[in-house]
Amino acid sequence: MIGLEHFIGVSSLLFAIGFFGVLLRKNTLVIYMCLELMLNAANLALIAFSRYHGGMGGNVFVFFTITVAAAEVAVGLAIIVALFRKRQTVEVEELNALNN
Amino acid sequence: MSTEYFQKIAETNVWGAIAPELALGILALALLAMEVILPKVAHGLIPRLAILGQLIILGVMLTAGSSGLGYTGEAFGGMLSFSETGQLFRAFFLGTSIFVSYLGMVSLEKKTLPQVEYFHILLVITGALMLLAQANHFVMLFVALETATVGFYILVSYFRDKAVSLEAGLKYLIMGALSSSILLFGIVLLYGAGSNMALAGGSVDPLNFGNLQKFLAANPSDMLGLLGMLLVISGIAFKIGVFPFQIWIPDVYQGAPIPTTALLAIASKGAGFAMLLNLTTVFSPLSEWLYPLLSVLAALTILFGNFAALTQRNVKRLIGLSGVSHAGFLLIGVIAAEKVDWATNAILFYLFAYLLASAAVFSVLAHLGKEDDSELTLDDLGDLAKRNGFLGLALAVGIGSLAGIPPLAGFIGKLLIFVAAFKAELYGLLGVAVIGVVVSIYYYFGIIKAAFFEVWRYQDEDEETPEEPVPGESLQLLGKLAILVAVVGTIVLGFYQSPLGSWLAG
Repeated sequence: MIGLEHFIGVSSLLFAIGFFGVLLRKNTLVIYMCLELMLNAANLALIAFSRYHGGMGGNVFVFFTITVAAAEVAVGLAIIVALFRKRQTVEVEELNALNN
Repeated sequence: MSTEYFQKIAETNVWGAIAPELALGILALALLAMEVILPKVAHGLIPRLAILGQLIILGVMLTAGSSGLGYTGEAFGGMLSFSETGQLFRAFFLGTSIFVSYLGMVSLEKKTLPQVEYFHILLVITGALMLLAQANHFVMLFVALETATVGFYILVSYFRDKAVSLEAGLKYLIMGALSSSILLFGIVLLYGAGSNMALAGGSVDPLNFGNLQKFLAANPSDMLGLLGMLLVISGIAFKIGVFPFQIWIPDVYQGAPIPTTALLAIASKGAGFAMLLNLTTVFSPLSEWLYPLLSVLAALTILFGNFAALTQRNVKRLIGLSGVSHAGFLLIGVIAAEKVDWATNAILFYLFAYLLASAAVFSVLAHLGKEDDSELTLDDLGDLAKRNGFLGLALAVGIGSLAGIPPLAGFIGKLLIFVAAFKAELYGLLGVAVIGVVVSIYYYFGIIKAAFFEVWRYQDEDEETPEEPVPGESLQLLGKLAILVAVVGTIVLGFYQSPLGSWLAG
């Protein structure tokens, strides 16, 4: 029998994968995918809580999160593309013009 | 879900109470329309109209009364809650936006980039931050915060012809999105805890601050609730640049255009503390976990910010790192607010003093007339006082206030926070704060020394010295007025606080 704890377990796992992906990966696009993974992990948890505890609040919140994520992607990809045109790279290690 | 239920919610929609935010939105759209309608020669008017419009909104808001334009308590079905503190935060964000509009006008005049969009996004951010300060529901808080944050991404990378600006934008994007995700996951865990009907205090709308507080009071040791609080506080700590979440600050401050740096330094920090002040009330049932955590963060933040700034030569990085230590001082105020009621007002006073001082400093930086402002070092400030006495004076007053030199406003702000901390018996934190202040005097006076005393420069006798731009030659009446307001405001708030004092005591 699949219960609430399974959903929350999967969601936490996805969130952790996303979080460590952001910290450890070197390619900006992969980092960006990891960020989206974290947002979707939160969505899954919201839906699961909403379904098992009753109440529509969580379901409605998911629509807001999706909208916010879409806005972030629109701006984020634009910045990445503009930066690629200037520097011809999206590797984090080569983007080090700003440092002490 | 009967008709009466929806009717009850609809009746709480008091649109008049959010008139300032609506007016800002309309003004933002009107700016875009004006760019289409007005002939090209008149486009220089648009930024001035933006500033004028904001001044009118601020004036109407301040004359309309101290609490939410005459409205208090919850509205919009519990989404917003109007209070005197919220009203002051609104004025704070609007004031910041006016100064940043002026800085934007100065910086963008030298560029061939589209101009109107900058002011459009700035106004949208300001409206979102004003709503954020009055949010009473996590959905409202998250959406308002994200509206502002996505706007910040654009403004940081606005100089898209410069690789450093784009790189700063990318770094801010990754860090900002990471902190938003952490904040969101925290909110989700709080929702999961509070919506559990099997526990006492569970409700169908647990993201409402009042409902959540009731739930946490009934279950102070709920694991999900505790974890949620920890993640939410971490997400906010990112935004205000509290140690260990301050890594993005120096890079982003350096790469961003000067007006955006000012906006990040002032408004973003203010927004973080507006959220934190609201949330400490919500999380008050968990205070045995919350306040020790905040105390450790505050101490580390003050020490890190000040010691990292010591060796810094780049002016924008230096201001950013000093901003980290200011966040630490403000955090002490938040901790003191647990036991001392007027500490909230002390935080607001500190923020307003910080706004005026930063406005003076950033105005001077914007007028230094350097092409690439991300490479602005202390050497570029050389003899500023001799080359332009007015700018030199403004810089000295601004930096003096940031350092907390009496009789300027910054000193009174620090004093109020320290007195509040003393009354709340936070002796350990006070000791750390005093060390921080002493260290900060060193690097703040480094800036003043660079601006006021002769700098020895290597000069080749055969070679002609390159023509240096005269700082402040682009300074017009509006610019003088803006700097004068910041300088006079800083001095007046330092000498004369009796109306404020009676308000703080009351």
